[in-house]
Amino acid sequence: MAYRTHGVFAMKFKYGMLTPLLALFVVAVGFPLCYAAYLSVTDYKLTDRTPPDFVGTANFASALTNPAFWEAFATTATYVVIAVSAELVLGFALALALHQQRWAKDLSRAIVLAPMFITPIAVGLIFRFLLNDQIGAVPALLHAVGADYDFFGAGKALLTLAFIDVWQWTPFMVLLILAGLESMPKQPMEAARVDGAGPVYRLRRVLIPMLAPVLTVAVLLRGLDALRVFEYIYATTRGGPGTETQTLQYFMYLEGIQFFRLAQASAMAFIVLALVLVVIVAAFRAMERNRVAERSAAR
Amino acid sequence: MTRRFTWLETLRLAVLAAAFVFVLFPIVWVALASFKTPEQMSEPFLFAFAPSLANWQAVFASGVFAAAGRSALVGVITVAISLVVGSMGAYVIAKYRAGGSLTRFGMLAAQVVPPAVMVFPFLTMAQALRMTDTLAPVIFAHLSFVLPLVTWFLIGFFEAVPASLEEQARVDGFTRWQAFRLVVLPQVYPGIGAAGIFGFTLSWNDLFYGLILAPGNAAILPVAIANFNTFRGVQIGTMSAAIMIAIIPVVIASFFIQRRLVQGISGGAVKY
Repeated sequence: MAYRTHGVFAMKFKYGMLTPLLALFVVAVGFPLCYAAYLSVTDYKLTDRTPPDFVGTANFASALTNPAFWEAFATTATYVVIAVSAELVLGFALALALHQQRWAKDLSRAIVLAPMFITPIAVGLIFRFLLNDQIGAVPALLHAVGADYDFFGAGKALLTLAFIDVWQWTPFMVLLILAGLESMPKQPMEAARVDGAGPVYRLRRVLIPMLAPVLTVAVLLRGLDALRVFEYIYATTRGGPGTETQTLQYFMYLEGIQFFRLAQASAMAFIVLALVLVVIVAAFRAMERNRVAERSAAR
Repeated sequence: MTRRFTWLETLRLAVLAAAFVFVLFPIVWVALASFKTPEQMSEPFLFAFAPSLANWQAVFASGVFAAAGRSALVGVITVAISLVVGSMGAYVIAKYRAGGSLTRFGMLAAQVVPPAVMVFPFLTMAQALRMTDTLAPVIFAHLSFVLPLVTWFLIGFFEAVPASLEEQARVDGFTRWQAFRLVVLPQVYPGIGAAGIFGFTLSWNDLFYGLILAPGNAAILPVAIANFNTFRGVQIGTMSAAIMIAIIPVVIASFFIQRRLVQGISGGAVKY
């Protein structure tokens, strides 16, 4: 009997395999998304007893003209850019360092990767007390050398939150880059070394271009996750001082759950989703272009 | 082997040493705090003191262990469902290129929608089914972010398996299902392990859904820990002990799973 990839049996198999995934996707992701989309065009509030009325794009219009929403947007963007770029640089350096580690290899990797396995609320609370002015070790250390730095003060709290993110999630970058390094062929680096290329040249011209796909994926995954930051803010600043550290996630939590304006919050979520999709598609396009360029260069 | 200590090697060791201190310092500090009395708490650099077990006794009595058990249960069930359903779907997506490569990124896009918005439909659903404050809605909500990421990873792993392997199995008389189950699937076991660990971590880490869907009797570990935060200043010692309970198992586990994770991910997930 000939092996066939098309035909009735192949189709039956294909959809049989795909159906459970699609079904679960529809119920666990599709349903809440559609429900939220429906709410975003109504005037629904959590406290309502009557069925919600259709209000069209009013929620979107009011979100787009809400300065607090854009402030949260800017706060989140700042947070993500600072945290993810620091994580990328530190993660790269640490992955390189760990890649060449021979003795106590497993132990040193386990130590460096450990923070990403700790539940974020615990991490947030640890730093809340570690950096606390009265009882924290770090401010005490600073006092001892005569310095004074209020980690959760005005103009500094967001940076502190980004720092917490770096502590917990640099390991994620390390993990992906380390995996990339391990799966990379050794010849190009050896060839560059034999040809007398220095470490900086090897890093810039050989290693980084070869790791580019890994780095893109790592930044993308980390960026998407950092956008959703909630636990650190919930554990430490609760959006303060003022509204300085109200990120989108926290802002929408306040709007939707605390202030019951769920329709508003849903509309905001879809605006954010649209903007992020634009960024993802742009990144995806750039990656495809690189891929095509690489292939034609290889020919 | 003689290894010359160049400046590069020195720099490398310095970077690693700095990272060790950076990672371990907060953890050690909390571990110490969990043995301190409230009076000792105001001395951050008190290292030599008679350890008090009062905090730990309070935590043992507070049901944090039960919460940790519930968290583990939620994680295991979520990951098991995601792996079974996800590997079947991911295999077909990788093999037939269903939906093109944009499917993979579209899958992640749903993750951007904030839990604050997704949680309400789940809550309504739980209320309609009379399942509020049980683990079922939490598992369901966790599937909404674990399933896409696990599937996303698995597609990469299946793409790395050569098609000839499966064709040979079909020629040898295997059915499509047998070829998948007995030939292709074993090839991606390391990847499945890595994706499973990853999914479990995501589920284990989540606070938000647990906070809203099961705040009371079925509280998962992050919720139980967050609850110590309400008595501010008073219960820092107890909270430190609770945090240690959340940290100790995962830090020990990370020693055993890191190799599998690195190997698994290098098997395909990072080749987008």
